Amino acid sequence: MQRFIPRRHALALLAALATMPVASAWAVDAGAQARSFVTMFGSKLVGVVNSDISLEKKKQDILPLLEQYVDVDAIGRYCLGRYWRTATPDQQARYIKLFHQVLVNAITDKIGDYRGVTFVVGSSAPSGDDTAVSTVINRPGQPGADTQWIISTASGSPKVVDVVGEGASLRLTQRQDYGSFIARNGGNVDALLRALDKQIANHH
Amino acid sequence: MRAETGSNSWSSRPFPSPRRPALRVVGVMLGLLGLASCAAPPPTDPDALAEYKEANDRYEKLNRKAFGITMWANKYTLRPVAKAYIWAVPRPLRNAFGGLYQTMNEPVVFFNDVGAGRPRRAGDAFVRWCINMTVGIGGLIDVANYAGYKHHDNDAGLTLATWGVPSGPYLFLPVLGPSSFRDGVGYGIDTGLSPWNYVPSGYGLVTFNWAYNIMGTINGMANNVDALDQVMKDSLDPYATIRSAYQQQRKAMAEAIKNDHRATVPDWYHTK
Repeated sequence: MQRFIPRRHALALLAALATMPVASAWAVDAGAQARSFVTMFGSKLVGVVNSDISLEKKKQDILPLLEQYVDVDAIGRYCLGRYWRTATPDQQARYIKLFHQVLVNAITDKIGDYRGVTFVVGSSAPSGDDTAVSTVINRPGQPGADTQWIISTASGSPKVVDVVGEGASLRLTQRQDYGSFIARNGGNVDALLRALDKQIANHH
Repeated sequence: MRAETGSNSWSSRPFPSPRRPALRVVGVMLGLLGLASCAAPPPTDPDALAEYKEANDRYEKLNRKAFGITMWANKYTLRPVAKAYIWAVPRPLRNAFGGLYQTMNEPVVFFNDVGAGRPRRAGDAFVRWCINMTVGIGGLIDVANYAGYKHHDNDAGLTLATWGVPSGPYLFLPVLGPSSFRDGVGYGIDTGLSPWNYVPSGYGLVTFNWAYNIMGTINGMANNVDALDQVMKDSLDPYATIRSAYQQQRKAMAEAIKNDHRATVPDWYHTK
């Protein structure tokens, strides 16, 4: 369940305009490229998740994969929404650092829940400037989960910028969580930074 | 609020909601009408206005109260019961109960598939009902799934959406959970569509109906309790997170029905 046009900032728009002449040629095989990326990234993830090593080792092994194949900075900027523009450079830098940790915690927390995972890569379709790749993730004894991966090449190489599970975009849901929290704290980005700090400190 | 039909996805139906007596439906309807008088004025700042529109939550103040009460009540009532149920009943058995509940809701899915003008889906729901009520022992075993007829959800809120009826403002209904004006009305229609509400009393059927509803509620909560716990723990504003996920999922579900243009007859029928 997901469809949204990310709020682009001016620089990204300029970059998009500059690359327009090559964009149409790229679009032809963008779908195939995104599908093979998801197949490759998914296999690596599933390889770690299904392996017999300890949970701690799995968490360690997954970190480089996230750094390499997930555009955490872009997701972080998206999730801060309109407050990204009003935040000071110092707040932005602190936020991105905290967001990295929050995202990593959220993902590694889930590894223990998964065992014997398989996935099937389905079709791809354009999603704004990005490409959406459909997959079905299967876990033993549970119904398959329809999951879409939004792949962007804005950083120069294909990277995951969103995951859509059963229709809900993770980054959009997160943005509305953060946005509502900041709005209820008088539009103060520092309130969010303190809350994220606390969230990380309480994580175990 | 949708009927929980065994899916493990938390966000479309964080709160299980089996069929309920007509009285509650009347309460929901009256509540919807009463809301019209207590909307907050929209903000004037353009960015804040965009956010306000995206949230689609004109009655946020009231909805947050309903959310607070529901979560508090849930913590001390349904949640511990669901946790005990998970502890006591192994997963295969829980899945079987979920199947029973899902199968008995199949007529509602069927009527809505017809209403949405999707004969292929209606056919799937009808065949699932026939197979699972008989060979599947009332739904305890999902035989239809093995025969290639996979379960799909539908409800009157989605049917109205395929007719172009807008969702209207978001609502968080006490106990029932996330909804909207359209989905609240759809909930009333679904209650009317379910044949079980027309079964004459006597013959122990009232007892059966209660047992069935209570079982469906507990089973639905058990399927979602971990995801709900996680949202409450990980979100800075769980209310906003659930609001966002619910509205996105409802939109996506309606889109999926709109875009399902499969032929009514199977592929092999056309091949010579």
